[in-house]
Order: sequence, then structure tokens, then C-alpha cells
Amino acid sequence: MDIVKRKTELVNEFSPMLEKSTKTSKIWISFLIFIILVGLVAFVIQAVKGHIVTGMRDNVVWGIYIINFIFFVCLSYSGAFISGILHFFKTPWKNSISRIVEVITVLSLIIGPIFILLCIGRLDRLHFLFIYPRIQSPITWDIIAIMTDLIGCFIYLYLTFVPDFAILRDNSENAPKWRQKLYKTLAIKYYDTPTQREALHKITRTMSAMIIALAIIAYSVLAWIFSLTVQPGWNSSIFAPYFIVAGLYSGVSVIIIAMYLIRKFYHLDHYIRKVHFMGAGAILLIISLLFGYFTFSEYFSRWFSHKVSDIQLLDTLFTRYFWEFIFANYIGVLVPVAILFFKKFRTIKTITFAAVVAILGLYMNRYLIIVPTLESPYLPIQDNRPEFIHYTATWIEWALSFAGIAAFILFFILIMRLVPIIPMSGIIDYERDQKRKPKGSNNH
Amino acid sequence: MKTKIFQYLLIFVALTFVNTKSFSQETNLKNYKIRFGLSTTKQADNSRILEVSYIAAHKKDRKDRVPVFDANINFYNVTADEEILLGTAKTDQEGNAQLIVPSNHLYVTNTDGYINFKAAFDGTDGLDYEEADLAVKDVFLELILKEVDSVKTVFFNAYTLDSLQTKIPLDETEIIFSVGGMISKMPIKQDYTVDGSFEFEFPENISGDKNGHVDVFASIIDNDEYGNVIQKKNINWGINKNITIETNKLWSDVAPIWMYVVLSILLIGVWANYVYTIKNLFNIKKEGKELELKPED
Repeated sequence: MDIVKRKTELVNEFSPMLEKSTKTSKIWISFLIFIILVGLVAFVIQAVKGHIVTGMRDNVVWGIYIINFIFFVCLSYSGAFISGILHFFKTPWKNSISRIVEVITVLSLIIGPIFILLCIGRLDRLHFLFIYPRIQSPITWDIIAIMTDLIGCFIYLYLTFVPDFAILRDNSENAPKWRQKLYKTLAIKYYDTPTQREALHKITRTMSAMIIALAIIAYSVLAWIFSLTVQPGWNSSIFAPYFIVAGLYSGVSVIIIAMYLIRKFYHLDHYIRKVHFMGAGAILLIISLLFGYFTFSEYFSRWFSHKVSDIQLLDTLFTRYFWEFIFANYIGVLVPVAILFFKKFRTIKTITFAAVVAILGLYMNRYLIIVPTLESPYLPIQDNRPEFIHYTATWIEWALSFAGIAAFILFFILIMRLVPIIPMSGIIDYERDQKRKPKGSNNH
Repeated sequence: MKTKIFQYLLIFVALTFVNTKSFSQETNLKNYKIRFGLSTTKQADNSRILEVSYIAAHKKDRKDRVPVFDANINFYNVTADEEILLGTAKTDQEGNAQLIVPSNHLYVTNTDGYINFKAAFDGTDGLDYEEADLAVKDVFLELILKEVDSVKTVFFNAYTLDSLQTKIPLDETEIIFSVGGMISKMPIKQDYTVDGSFEFEFPENISGDKNGHVDVFASIIDNDEYGNVIQKKNINWGINKNITIETNKLWSDVAPIWMYVVLSILLIGVWANYVYTIKNLFNIKKEGKELELKPED
């Protein structure tokens, strides 16, 4: 196999993805920018007028911002976890989805913490967290965990990008100057020599193991922010593993949706095949069953213990939030299980539909963890105006939430314009391995 | 036929508007039994509390108790010839009426030395006349707290006075010693007087306030002859004079050592790996540079 020739072929195959701007993609990007701009307007209004423009009040001090934060950060941790496992255990079909997972990991870890900043009433005091850190506070642990994880994910993502940057550097004669210069800088003089390849593989493998451990720690720390308090609905010993399972549930679902969209819009049917959806679907089925089990355990023990505050919370969940509860914990679990359990139901579209239902259910599950708990205070409050007790998100909060999602998609598209979403180096490595193996041992 | 049906329907609708509650209220009153009780407590400053509990209790449902509110209760010191009015008090929302008779009041006693008390409610249109009486002897409690050979000792004497003001010790009377707490008293000793006296060693492990002060109580409770009698003294015998701040807690000023150790190991491990990775990237770059410098073979 002439590797140099194969690299050029791959660059030619993927270059339309990097260079072509269709009318649809332009409209789509403009739409995303518009949503982000609306979000910026909402942010300016919130910054000028304060949190009074949000639905957050004295009782419900956390709203959909924190839910978005948990959602994105969990997505990132699950992405890191899955990506680490794919690399560490050299999963046979990792090549088609590993970059999607890595990009999701880094982008969600950049966007997630922005929502926590939107939650803070006195942003001017943010630096106090660094000047006067309390090591015994889970908030401090979370800041340390997020920053360490973010840097780790960046390094890891970069390691997986280096061989592709090198291929693009060597095969981008017709590309604009800035792009050539960018590839040259980012490729750090990687020429795919055996020693360079070995060193890169070694550090990527170490980092993948590190990323798995980091994701578990960071997940647990995030869960402890809630479970180490004595609030009903939060104070739970299984919250950390519950968050890990919930995060994996959302992570696998988002990966399936991303795989579906990328396959459809970039015509990558050859690389993202039905077998990938089937594999991801099977994983989603196992995680959905686990998630259902954890959810049942959590609510069952609360109901059985019959503590006054827990019963008050469960009453709220089964009265005011009845349909949301049914959607989050029944439809959000049982529909994906029903679709994925029976082989004849498993198609690319139904698996993607199951993933969408799982994502929506999980978002609602997060909402039910945060808002009804804060709406059930321990002590009766003196000024009990309904808006003080009950939370409803305002347009400002929704605008900023959608801006976050739009930014996530926009950055995803921009990264796909920089490097191919299917790692070229991975394809070459795979083909090189196949050539080395004796005939008949191909199990891909 | 149609008109008849309409009439029946009208009667049925009219019946649904009848206030059924007014019937049930009348019926319910018969099910209640009035409880009108009088008790007395002689306090540490020798003043005396006279208290009436006025409650309507359901005959069948023991949990259903309705306090009689705002009822005027007259308290009397009854002698052979007359009833001397001590004062009047109204029942509160719990159905209790309380009168505090000052310590300097001179009660009239009977020939056996008993003070006869009476509490009476004159009645209203809805409620009948009620009265309750009680006879108690006037008891004097002495509580002396003294360190004997560095041992904190409680000395207790109880007596009554006869007509010649001679002290008559209380024999075989149950006394409860307790210390004051935030919510209720904590008993530390329960025993019987011998020749009107009792003494015991004060426990060493009793918590006091921030200055170590503790209220010590000696009480006769629900005695048929003396009612309730309480004596109290405050003394600096409690421990916890200095509240020690607990360490190694999440809410303490400084985090526990193990937390620093674990966090340091984790962070050093992770960051060392980052440094190692970046160093390897520089090695890769260095090798690439050397390759570029070599003449093409």
C-alpha cells in the first residue's frame, strides 16, 4: 500500500466537507448565528437589569441554567468516558465515531460552565472563588475538576488531531494560505515516522486512560454538589453513580443523533454504517435499563423512608409535575427500551428516535431534580408570593439556553470545516493493520 | 305528571342547600364531656400558680379534645366561713387559666394546716356552672449547693410550718432533682426524703451555659398533700465553659488533612501526566525538525 498516495486520496475524498459551502449550510449557519445573537441580547439585558429578568427568586435560586450546565457537563464527561474506552480498548469500529465523541466532549465542556456563570448573581465576586478557595467545599472541587478535565480533554483532542493535521499539511497545496499555515503549525512537524507514531500512540493511550478516570471523578464531584446537601431529593448516596449512568445515557444519545445528522448531511454512509447504529443502540439499551433501575431505586427509597420532607417533594412531583414526571421517568426510559429491545424495531431512524426521546426525558429528569426540590423549602417562607415559590423560566433564560445549543452546533460545524469528522489517520492505521494481519483474520 | 317530576326535582335541589353542619354541631355537643381541673404549683420565689384546665373531651374519641376559650375563672381561698377571692383569669386557646398569687400573700388554712383552693366558672347560656377544689399544705424547700472537700454536693431540706411556726420535716416524700435545659429539665436524681432531708453528689458531666452556669431544680410533683412545689438555684458547676470548635469537618475553617493529601495526589498525578504528554509532543516536534534539516535521501 502506498501510504502517501492513500493519504492524498483520503484528503481528496474529504476535502469537499472542508471547503464546500452549500446554500443550505450557509442558511443553517446564519440561523445559528441569529440565535446566538438573540442570546447575546438576552445576556446584555440580564447583565444590566440583574437576575430579576429571570424566573429565579429567593426560593428557586437555580433554574434551567444549572440544568443546562449539568446537561452539557455530563455530556462532556460521558463523551470523555466513551472516547477513552474506545481508544484504550482499541474498539474495532471506533474510527467512525471517535472524532464525533471527542468534539462533543470538548465543546460541551466549553459551553457547560458558561451556564454556571449565568447563574451567579454577583459575577464581580467570581474571582473570590480562586482567591479564597475552601478545599472542603464541593463547589471548589467542581471548579478544579472542570478546569483539569477541560485541559485534559483539549490535550487529548489535540493528540487525536495531530496525524490528521499532518496529512492535511502535506496535501493542502490548493488550500488558502491561512489554512496551510494553520495546519503546519498544528501538525508540530509530525511526519508519521515509526518513532513519532509510537510516541503519539503511547501518550494518546495514557491520556485515554486518564480521561476515563477524570470523567468518573468529575462526574462524582458534580453529583456531590447536590448530594452532600441535606435537601430532600438531593441527599442521596447513589447520586454519583446515578449521575454517571444518566450522563452516559445522554452522551450515547447525543452521539447517535450526531451520527445520524452527519451521515445524512455529509453523505458518509460508507463510514457511518448501520452496524455502528446497532452497536450504539445496544449500548443505549443497556444504559437505559440501568438508568431506569437507578431512577426507580432513588424514588422508591425516598417513598419508603416516609420522611416528611421527602413525602412533600414526592407529593409535588405527583401533583404539579405529574406529566413531567411521567415523561421523564416513564416515557423517557420505557420508549427507548421498547424500541431497542426488539430487533425488528431496530432501524437507523428508530434508534435515532429513541435517542431523541432519551435526551428529552433526561433533560426533564434534570429539571425535576432541581426545580421541585428548591420549591419545597424546609421552613415556611414569610412572603409566599407564588412567583417566589414556583419557578417558570423566562424568555431570557430560554434565549440563552438555545444560544448555548446553537453555539454547540455552530462550533461543531466549524471544527468539521477544519478537520474531517472521520479521522483519516485512523483509516490508514486500520488499513495498515489489515495489511499486516494474515488473510482471513478480518473481523471488522 | 311532568309538573310532579319538576316538583320532586325542586324539593331535591332545595334539600341539597340545607346546611347539614348546623345539625351535626348540635348533635356533637352531647358527645362531649367537660373536664374542669385545678392544680397548684409553688414556685422557687414562693409565689404560687393556680391553674385551671377547662376542656371538652369527646366521650368516644379520646383524641378529640376541644379547649374552652375565653372563659372567666374565679379562684378562691376557701375557709370555714367564707370564700376569699384570690383573683380572676381567662382561659387561653389551650383552655388553661392561670393565676399567680404573690409570695407575700397570707393564706387562711384549716385546722389541719391545709390551704383550701377553689376555682369556679359561673357558666353561660351554652355552658354549665363548673367548679373544682384542692387542698394542699404549704411546703418550704431549701436547696443548698456546697462543695465539701472539693466534692460538689447538693443538700436538700423540706418542711412545713405549724401554727407556732415550728418546722415539721417531710418524711418519705418523693423528690426529683433536675438541671435546666434548653427545651425541658433533665432529671439527675430521684429519691425520697429521710427526716425531711436528702443529700447527694452532683454529677461531674453536666453541661452548663457558655459561662458554665447551670440551674439546679428540686421538685415535688403531683403530690396529693402538697401539689407541685419547685425550688431552684443557679451555680457555676456545669462543664463546657469553653465551647471547643470541632475540627475535621466540612464546615470548619480548615479542611481535614486527608482531604489535602487525596486532592494533592490526584492533582499531581493528573498534571504530571499532562506535563509528560506535552514533553512527548515536544520530542515529536524535535524529531520532525531534525528530519527537515536532514538532506533528502
